[in-house]
Amino acid sequence: MTRVKRGYIARRRRKNSLTRNITQQKIRALVSAHRDRDRQKSDFRRLWITRINAVIPEKEVYYNYSKFIHDLYKRHLLLNHKILAQIAILNRNYIYMIYNEIIKNEDSKEYLEMI
Amino acid sequence: MVTIVIRSKPDRIIPQFYQQKLRLSTLYPSLKLPFELTKMASTTLTCYCSSLCSTLQFLQNQNPISKPLSQPVSRFLSTPISPPILTLQNPSLSQLYAFKKDSQIDDEEGDDSESVDLPDFKRNAFARPKLSDVLPDDIEIPKPGTPEYDDILEKLLPKKSPPPPREEIFAVVMVGSRQYIVIPGRWIYTQRLKEANVNDKIVLNKVLLVGTKTSTYIGKPVVTNAAVHAVVEEQLLDDKVIVFKYKKKKNYRRTKGHRQPITRIKITGITGFEDYPASTLEAETVSS
Repeated sequence: MTRVKRGYIARRRRKNSLTRNITQQKIRALVSAHRDRDRQKSDFRRLWITRINAVIPEKEVYYNYSKFIHDLYKRHLLLNHKILAQIAILNRNYIYMIYNEIIKNEDSKEYLEMI
Repeated sequence: MVTIVIRSKPDRIIPQFYQQKLRLSTLYPSLKLPFELTKMASTTLTCYCSSLCSTLQFLQNQNPISKPLSQPVSRFLSTPISPPILTLQNPSLSQLYAFKKDSQIDDEEGDDSESVDLPDFKRNAFARPKLSDVLPDDIEIPKPGTPEYDDILEKLLPKKSPPPPREEIFAVVMVGSRQYIVIPGRWIYTQRLKEANVNDKIVLNKVLLVGTKTSTYIGKPVVTNAAVHAVVEEQLLDDKVIVFKYKKKKNYRRTKGHRQPITRIKITGITGFEDYPASTLEAETVSS
């Protein structure tokens, strides 16, 4: 006779013992901390990028985060993503001022031609 | 329940929260009570401490069986109180529960010359005491929302001094290959500045952005001649971080602790940016 499945009772009995030893918990905790300290850097960068992207004005020209950063570097601005994201939250007007600075003169012509 | 109220002026009932509770024995050492004052025995002593009056008046016992005192008792009792006056000889619970608001006080006892108007107790013996028990009905307590209520609150609440005035300026500064938003009057943690001692004045030159209320000075890449002045407050070690390397099933574990050396810097001022070309919110027209 083949093995007969005994139903769900045995399974329920086992479900209560989702435990780990203290030593195991400690190991997993420390390993996660170590690993996530490295991930933290990329996590935050992602967050900052989405925040900057959200704030950039898309009114007249087709403009977004990638173009913004490209223009930043073209104009020799050294501000990093963290600062830009913080400014975007706290004093949004300053982002618009930076945007105006960047978009002056020649570069804007190219975008207008693209349309 | 026996409530002992010492009145400084005969017509004034002092609300409970102005009174202090004192142990009877400390006030009147000559007063020898026949029983111990426990909490449940519930003798609330309320004394108006600054001016002890000349008369002690015992208010009516909650127990309907007991009778009110016809004569006030003198302040310093030479003789101990005789038990029949303070009737608390094991009152049975049924008697206490039987108490009703329209109690069976014997008003027909005959008017003594020194009879006292005792206030009605508006609550049950074992109920929580409230202010309304002691306050007379004439008092108007202001309701929340009225200006009188707000006045009282203003007087009672602790007053926080307004925050110190600060220059409304900020700068973005690059220190130790990291950028910080910096405001005069606040401090930041930076990487260890090796030669700086405590209370040294420091000038940070790499200022990438200065923002005031009216305009920004956006540096390309640096705002020329701008400087952020700071004072070194402390050279310390950061909180410990445990570096733990682990490979499963291979018996490999390495533990290491790490404390990064750090400097705390207090920013005192931002200068030198005025000559730099400023930019404002008005968008410049595109030159075609």
